[in-house]
Amino acid sequence: MDEAAVARLVPGLGLALPRVPHRGRVGEVRATSAGSSLELHDFRAYQPGDDLRQVDWNAVARTGEMVLRVRQEEVSPRVEVVLDGSRSMALSPRKAACARELALLTAEVAGRQGLTPTLLVAGARPERAQGPACRAALHATTFDARDDLSASLARLPPLRPCGLRVVVSDFLFEADLPALCSRLSRGAAGLFLVQVLDAEDLDPSGGEGARLVDSESDAALEELLTEDVLAAYARRFAEHQRSLRAAAVRARGALLTAPAPDALAALVAGPLRPLFVAGGGA
Amino acid sequence: MSFGFPWGLLALGALVPLVAAYFLRRRQKPVVVSALFLWRTPRPRAEAGPRWERFTREASLLLEALAVVAAALFLADVRLGETARTRHLVLVVDGSLSMSARGPDGVPVLEKARREAAKRVEEDGATQVTVLASGVTPRVLAGPEAEPSRALAALESFQAMGADHDVMPSLVWAQELAGAGRRVVFLTDAPPEAPALVPASVRWMAFGAGRDNVALVSAQRRDEGGTATVTLRVARFGAGPQEVEARVRAKPGPGAKEGTERVERVRLPDEGTTTVRLTFQGAGDVEVALPDDALPEDGRVSLPPSPIRPVAVGLAEGLAPPERQSLERFLAVAPEVERDGAKEGASPEEVLLFGPRGTDARVTVGAPGKPRTFVGPFFSEKGHPLLDDVQLAGVRWTAGDNPPGRPLMTAGEAVLVSEEEGGRVHLNVDLTRSNVQRVAAWPVLLGNVVREARRTREGFPRRQLTLGEPLPVVTEAGARYTLVGPGGSRPVFGAGAVDLPPPSGPGRYVLERDGDEVDSAEVLALDARESDLRGRGAADVAARESSDEEERGSAPGRARWPLVLLLVALVADFYVTRRVPHLESQTPRR
Repeated sequence: MDEAAVARLVPGLGLALPRVPHRGRVGEVRATSAGSSLELHDFRAYQPGDDLRQVDWNAVARTGEMVLRVRQEEVSPRVEVVLDGSRSMALSPRKAACARELALLTAEVAGRQGLTPTLLVAGARPERAQGPACRAALHATTFDARDDLSASLARLPPLRPCGLRVVVSDFLFEADLPALCSRLSRGAAGLFLVQVLDAEDLDPSGGEGARLVDSESDAALEELLTEDVLAAYARRFAEHQRSLRAAAVRARGALLTAPAPDALAALVAGPLRPLFVAGGGA
Repeated sequence: MSFGFPWGLLALGALVPLVAAYFLRRRQKPVVVSALFLWRTPRPRAEAGPRWERFTREASLLLEALAVVAAALFLADVRLGETARTRHLVLVVDGSLSMSARGPDGVPVLEKARREAAKRVEEDGATQVTVLASGVTPRVLAGPEAEPSRALAALESFQAMGADHDVMPSLVWAQELAGAGRRVVFLTDAPPEAPALVPASVRWMAFGAGRDNVALVSAQRRDEGGTATVTLRVARFGAGPQEVEARVRAKPGPGAKEGTERVERVRLPDEGTTTVRLTFQGAGDVEVALPDDALPEDGRVSLPPSPIRPVAVGLAEGLAPPERQSLERFLAVAPEVERDGAKEGASPEEVLLFGPRGTDARVTVGAPGKPRTFVGPFFSEKGHPLLDDVQLAGVRWTAGDNPPGRPLMTAGEAVLVSEEEGGRVHLNVDLTRSNVQRVAAWPVLLGNVVREARRTREGFPRRQLTLGEPLPVVTEAGARYTLVGPGGSRPVFGAGAVDLPPPSGPGRYVLERDGDEVDSAEVLALDARESDLRGRGAADVAARESSDEEERGSAPGRARWPLVLLLVALVADFYVTRRVPHLESQTPRR
C-alpha cells in the first residue's frame, strides 16, 4: 500500500456527498433536521417548551405573536467504507494494495472533510474501525475470506444509516446483484461501488492449457486458453459488468471500476472522479 | 484384425509417460482466477450426470494418445480384412522317395526344400501357409492357412517316402487352395519335363542333383515249411560300382536259437537287374542292406515272415469214382493246397469243396442227364480268369444237362462250364466218356479254379508290395474292415476283391475285421523310378503369372492408414494447442 501517494492526494480531495439531507452527529454539514446552525430554516408558532432563545423578537414585535425561528441543524455525516476481504482481492499484490489504498484514501478524505469515517472489513474475521484507527485496520487486513462479499456481509455488524457508503470490492462473484446493491444502499444517502480489478481479470492471457483455480473456493477447471475461450470469457465479463452497473443504478448508486495496475492518482483523476472531487468541498 | 509384428504394440507403453506428463504438466501450471464462473460455459442442464464436455476439454490428451496408438498400430503392422492384409502362401513339397536322396554335399534334398520353404515364408511375409505333400494321393501337411510356424514345423517332421507320381493333380489342387492370383511354390528335385504344362501360377524350384545309385528294385519272401526264400532284385543306375555287397541278416525265428548273416556279392550289369535268391531255415525278420549311397533308403528292406496260406480243398461224398480219381490226381501235385481242410477246423466258407451236381459244393463235377459229346467248336468267354490258358484242341467233351448260372464255355447248345452269382462253378463233364482229363486243359482248368479260390480268400493276396502299387485286399460281405497303416487307419468299403489306392508310404499295413487282425502286408520303400537319380537337377522356374502381391509391389508394405491417422492426430493436436499470437506478447503468467 502506497501510503505516501494517499497522503499526497488527500489534501486536494473531497468526497462527493449526495445533495439529499444528511443525518449524523453535530457537525458542519446541514442536516435534514432542525437544529442550531446559523442557517434559517423556517418560522413557526411558539409552543411551550421551545427554546426561548430562538424566539424572533422582531416578529413578535411586529405581529404580537410568539414566532419562533427554526434553524437548520448542522451534523457530521457518517461515511462507511466497506472493504471486501475475500481472497480474490489478493489475486495479485497490486490488486490488494490498490484496494487498501482506495479504502484509506476514502477514509482520510472523509476525516479531513469533517466526516466520520467507519471502515468495515468483510473478511473471514470481520473488522470494524473508526476514524484514525482505519489506517491501522487496513494494515492488518488480510484478504482471507473463502466466500464472496454477499456472503461475508452477513458476518459484519449491521450496516447503519450513514451519509455515504463506499464499497470496495472486485464484485466478481455469482450473486443476486440487484439484491446485493439494494442491501448495500439501505440506510445510506449515497452509494459508490468501487470495483478493483486486476489486469488478469480485465484481459486474461492465454495461449496454452491451464488449470484454472478459483481463488476462493479452490474449484478447478481444466481449460485450453484458446482464442475462443478467451473471447467467451470477455463476453461473459462484459455481461456481468452490465448487470452490476444496472443493479447499482437501480439502488441509486454508482459503479466505478478501478483497474489495479493504474496509479492511484490516475484512478482519482479518471474512473473515480465521481467519488472524489477536487478542492475538498462537500 | 491381426498383427504382422505384434512386438510393435510395445509402443503403446508410450501412453503411460504421455498421460503422466500430461497430468504433471497441468499440475505444474495452476492459474488462480478471481471468478471461475466467468470461465465456465453455462449449460442448460444441471451440472450432475455424464460430462462428455469434460472429455472434450482433454482433446489434446486424446489426440496425443490417438497418435501413439496409430504409431503402435503401424509398427505392429496391423492388418484388417481378409483379402487386404493376409498373405497366403501355398507350398507343395514333392513327397516322392527321391527327395530323400543326398546331394554331393551330403545334404538331403528334402532338407534343402525345408530351408527354401522357410526362406519363402520369410521373404514373402506370409501370414498363412498351406503345405501340401504331392503323391499318388496328395495330402495336406499343414493348413489350410495355418500359422507359418506350425506349417514349417509340420514340414520339419515330414519324410518323403512316396512313390513316383504325377505332380500335376497336386499342383492343381494347390492352385485351388491358394485362390486366384496367389502364388504356389513347388519344391522338388528335378526340373519340369514340360515347363509349359506347369500351372501358370506355380513356381517350380528343384534342388536335386544327378547321382549314381544302386538300389533294390524288388524284394520278396516266401515261407514254406521252415524255409524262407528271399528273392532280391538289385539294379545299378548310372556309373556306379560293378559289384556290391548285399548284407542279409536273418533274425532267429520262433524255433531258432540264433540268426544268420550273409554277405552276398552281387555283380551288377550296365543295364538291367541282378536277381539274388537266398534261403534261410527258421528265420524271423530278414533284413537286407546295400552299402550307403546317394539314396540309402532304397537299399534297405526288412522282410517279416510271410507263410503261405494253402487253400483247403475237400471232396464231397457222392462224387463218381472217375471224377474223384481225377480230382485226387490233380490235388496230389497241386502246390499250396491242403486236402481235407474242412476236417481241421476250417470254416465251410474257406474250404474249396468239390462235389457232384445237385450239392452245395462250390465246384460241381458231373454230367447228369442225357449225355452229349462235342469235339468242337468250343466257345469260351474271353478273358475270364477261370479259362486262362485252357486249350481245348483235340478234346472230346461229353456233357449232360445244362447247369445253372452264366455260361463260360459252350459247345452247340450245351453249357460246358458255368458260374453262378455266388461264385459256384459247374463243370458239366462226364469224365467216363470224355478225354478232357487226359489233356493239359484239365489241370489248367482246375488250377485256375484253385487260384480263384485263393484270390477270393479274405486278406491280402500279396504280402510284399513296392511303392506305388495298388493294395489288393479281399473282404467278406457283412463285416466291417479297417486298414491300419503307418499313416493311420481308414475304413475299407466294398466286399470281395478290392483294389485300394497305393499306400502313401512304406510300412506294415494290417487288415482288421471288427477290430481283429486278419492279415498284414508289407509295403517296401522300393521304387525303381525313384531310385534312378540320373535325371535329377536344380532349377528355378518362375511362375508365368505374377501374383497379386507382386502387382501391388514387391515390398509387402504396411498399412498406411495408421500413418494418416497419426498425421491427422498430430495436426489436430497442434491446432487445438496453438498459441494465440497477440497474447504471447503479454506479461508472462504467474
